[in-house]
Amino acid sequence: MRLDSIAFRLIVASMAWVFLVLPLAGFLIYALYRTDVQKSFDAQLEKLVTALTIDSMQTVDQVPVAPTNRYEPLFEVTHSGWYWQIAPVDKQQVVTLRSASLATATLPSPFELRYPADPETNMRWRDDTGPDGKPVRIVEVIGRLQHAEEGPRFSIVVAGPSEWLEYSVATFRNRLALALTVAGAALLVLMVLQVRFGLAPLQRVEEALAEIRSGKANRLDGAVPAEIEPMREELNALIQSNEDIIERARTQVGNLAHGLKTPLAVITNEARESPGPLGEKVIEQSKIMTDQVQHYLERARMAARVGVIGRVTPVREVIEPLARALEKINASKGVKIDVTCPTDAAFQGEKQDLEEMLGNLLDNACKWSSGRVTLEVKPSPLMSSTGRKRLKIIVSDDGPGLTKEQRSRIGRRGLRLDETKPGTGLGLSIVIDLAQSYRGNLTLDAAEIGGLKAILDLPAA
Amino acid sequence: MRVLVVEDDTDLNRQLVGALSDAGYAVDSALDGEEGYYLGDTEPYDLIILDIGLPKMDGISILEQWRRSDKKMPVIILTARDRWSDKVQGIDAGADDYLAKPFHMEELLARARAQLRRAAGHAKSEIECGSVRLDTNSARVTCDGEPIKLTSHEFRLLAYLMHHRGRVVSRTELVEHLYDQDFDRDSNTIEVFIGRLRKKIPADIIETVRGLGYRIIAEDDAT
Repeated sequence: MRLDSIAFRLIVASMAWVFLVLPLAGFLIYALYRTDVQKSFDAQLEKLVTALTIDSMQTVDQVPVAPTNRYEPLFEVTHSGWYWQIAPVDKQQVVTLRSASLATATLPSPFELRYPADPETNMRWRDDTGPDGKPVRIVEVIGRLQHAEEGPRFSIVVAGPSEWLEYSVATFRNRLALALTVAGAALLVLMVLQVRFGLAPLQRVEEALAEIRSGKANRLDGAVPAEIEPMREELNALIQSNEDIIERARTQVGNLAHGLKTPLAVITNEARESPGPLGEKVIEQSKIMTDQVQHYLERARMAARVGVIGRVTPVREVIEPLARALEKINASKGVKIDVTCPTDAAFQGEKQDLEEMLGNLLDNACKWSSGRVTLEVKPSPLMSSTGRKRLKIIVSDDGPGLTKEQRSRIGRRGLRLDETKPGTGLGLSIVIDLAQSYRGNLTLDAAEIGGLKAILDLPAA
Repeated sequence: MRVLVVEDDTDLNRQLVGALSDAGYAVDSALDGEEGYYLGDTEPYDLIILDIGLPKMDGISILEQWRRSDKKMPVIILTARDRWSDKVQGIDAGADDYLAKPFHMEELLARARAQLRRAAGHAKSEIECGSVRLDTNSARVTCDGEPIKLTSHEFRLLAYLMHHRGRVVSRTELVEHLYDQDFDRDSNTIEVFIGRLRKKIPADIIETVRGLGYRIIAEDDAT
């Protein structure tokens, strides 16, 4: 992943979330839990000390009564962590009462240690260690016997094991940390997936752009996210304006080339009328200009086709008008063109290119024939290396034909085997160039009906 | 034979008119589409050379209108656009042949001859009537193999009659087809030329059909 990518930014941002927010949240939860546990523990101690105070102080004697242990059975178990102790504060003559769990030990009195009392409950709190050395939480109430409101004060102390409290909180903290770590990891994974999912349309846009560049498509279509919609429109407008510019340039090349043809015709004709070195030079040079014009027209045509893949041209649609036109042109010779073409034969390519190829081949055949031309279209038994279907178009005439040696020379630009018949010598080379641009080819052979047989192999659709 | 040239380029127009006149045709010319259409519509031409890219009215439309009003004369179109779709479009509009610019004048003349022969129903380039033979390619007339010297007016007259041999051709038709539109159309000149022709070729070949015109006997009748 690149450091300047949107995915990277999104993932870094979400990682910041996870690493900052989760620990903070964990700490808060931990603190809340800890306070809560502490409060409920304190509440329990408070309850015990209140109950013990009532038990021990509700007496008619001059000394407190030893309370029962029904509130907490662990008061009976030695060093259980749960203790109580009732001791006189002012007069030392009254004996100190202790829970069985305390044995002979004494709990320190927060009152004597001058701990302040809670103003609401009048209780004093202190964390200390018990007789067995384990941490305990101590709560103390200073009370008097029920019947002697001005009598001696007693310190009623209850202690509970705060070790359990620490343990409980620590366990919670560990579990919380584990849970939050797992959640964080899951969040990170989800973030990555979310980024991928969120950016998937960009991937599609990228693929669509690649298709445009390779010529499989000529505009950005299909659903795109709303955020990219304006960009798509701009892009399509850009492609369109680009196409327009190319089209304009192409039209201008065409216009220029076509515009030159009439003056060239004039110059050539004029030069022919004036014999001599100047006339010859002009004829020679205007021939070069004519070839150049023709060459650039062809280039412009071929360029127009680049990037247009997937066009399908029914062969019959092209053959029929051509055959009709050529029969009419050659009516004085009485040329008849026999066409054999399956209705579903289709060429994978531009209609105009097929027209140029077939037009030139048929024109050639008509020019040389003595009356009969055949055109046969059939699916080729040969498959191309990619397994695509192919098409064979065979044009034969009953003219004089060509020798094997002549056939091998044909197709060179401007080569004319017979200078007496009119022509530019470009016809077959155009056919070959076009066929090759479709990964097809043109082969020449002797025709069964006497003349030349031209076999065009092209991709079928 | 009367030919119309419709071409907006003045130089090419002049060259075409020159070459066709030299080849023995009576030639009219138009420099824009409207004039060309009008001439082709009103005058009886044997052949029209029509440029496709014309000011005021394009060649294809002109051709289609002529064909719609049932004008059957052969038309050769000249075009700088030489894609097959352009050619087919021209032929479908009613052209009989096309020629892509730049072209050789000889090729244009050859195609013109072919169209004229075809229109008159001759397949070969030579037309024979008895002992007289017309070679349309070289524009030469022979009688029993001996070349005959003819003036251009005499040649045009003989060639027209031979192209339409076996048919009675009226004086008006001859005037219309032998002279361009600027010529002083006096049908008496036809009689003068017929008289001169009869002195140069066997006199019985050209028959006078009283009140109707002239006829050259077809080959079958010649014996």
